[in-house]
Amino acid sequence: MTKAIINTDMNIGPFKIPGNGQNMILNFYAERNKIKVEEIIPEPFMSDALATTQWTHKKKKLELVILCSIHQLPQKQNRVNSLIRNMKNVEFHFALENISGKGKKFLKSCIKEAKIFKNAKVIDSTKTSWSKLNKLRLKKK
Amino acid sequence: MCIENKMKHRFTINQLNKNGYAVCKVENFKIFKALQNSFIKNISFPNSKNKTIEDVRKYFAKKNKAEINKSMINFITFNKNLSELMVKSFPNLIKELCGKELFVQRRAHTTINVPGKNQAKQVAHYEMISGISPFTYVIWAPLHEINDEGGAYHFDLKTSLKIMKEEEKKGLVNSSRVLNLMGKKKPPKLKFGEAIIFNPFVLHGNIPFNSKLARIACNVRFQSSSKPLLQKNTDYLKYYRLTS
Repeated sequence: MTKAIINTDMNIGPFKIPGNGQNMILNFYAERNKIKVEEIIPEPFMSDALATTQWTHKKKKLELVILCSIHQLPQKQNRVNSLIRNMKNVEFHFALENISGKGKKFLKSCIKEAKIFKNAKVIDSTKTSWSKLNKLRLKKK
Repeated sequence: MCIENKMKHRFTINQLNKNGYAVCKVENFKIFKALQNSFIKNISFPNSKNKTIEDVRKYFAKKNKAEINKSMINFITFNKNLSELMVKSFPNLIKELCGKELFVQRRAHTTINVPGKNQAKQVAHYEMISGISPFTYVIWAPLHEINDEGGAYHFDLKTSLKIMKEEEKKGLVNSSRVLNLMGKKKPPKLKFGEAIIFNPFVLHGNIPFNSKLARIACNVRFQSSSKPLLQKNTDYLKYYRLTS
């Protein structure tokens, strides 16, 4: 049974985290939670299928995996089904959200929450100012 | 919700819109009391069985910051459902402001402020400095009455915005001018079950205070899930649906 961290594309939902940054976050999370990491799984960039992780699980029997965020989980239904079917017995940890669990219900709730946030409107903080933000607050009342 | 409660919420919301902050009252006292009990149960201090919040305050009043931080590490269990307990303590006010569908701070904060000149000082600041959405509200609730100067002060919205605009012209945010405001305001006294709700543009902080008791308070940030986010996302917020 193997415990692994998963490194993915740097574009993680609203976050942009380079690979070495992801490794720092994941290793720090593991250390803080006294998890001994034995494997690093590199997922290809521009893919959220977590296919390499599922392949690794078949070969090495994963017990626990750590990802940076719930935004790294797949959203397309066929990919969600595949992940749940293959990995429902694996414990998932999400470092930034600081949540963990396993099974169909847990994974589905994480995917649902990621979708809610994906659909939320986001103000571009590089194109605004404090005054504009205050005006926005008043305008949208 | 009865008409009397609706009137109270309307008054609080009017004050909040006018001043940027308002005193609000706990609506579900049973849940807030459970929150207080959960804190006493989970905070690490000797012989915690059958102790009261005053015992905890007395114990921590003599501790330094490093010792308090060490105790707070054992605290994660309490913090796991603190956000829910806070929101459920003020359900109708929150519903009036934001509706039922919320983004709530994933891990609400608990702060222990120790009396003495070299201890508790939270410099004046806007909540906006952390990158939360301008549509966010904060509820700050002490776990006991506050009858000394250990509470939190708030500048009114007009003053806060005036300072913010002047700073912005100079290309500054939370500059020494704001930091030097510390200590020029007196925190209000509050009864147990009273809290302060405020928007993220209101300058606030606290001052050193003299007392034999530490100050313990919880705070939670929330917004409507239909309003835009700013820099905080799932790292800080979670989706939460208020049940009626």
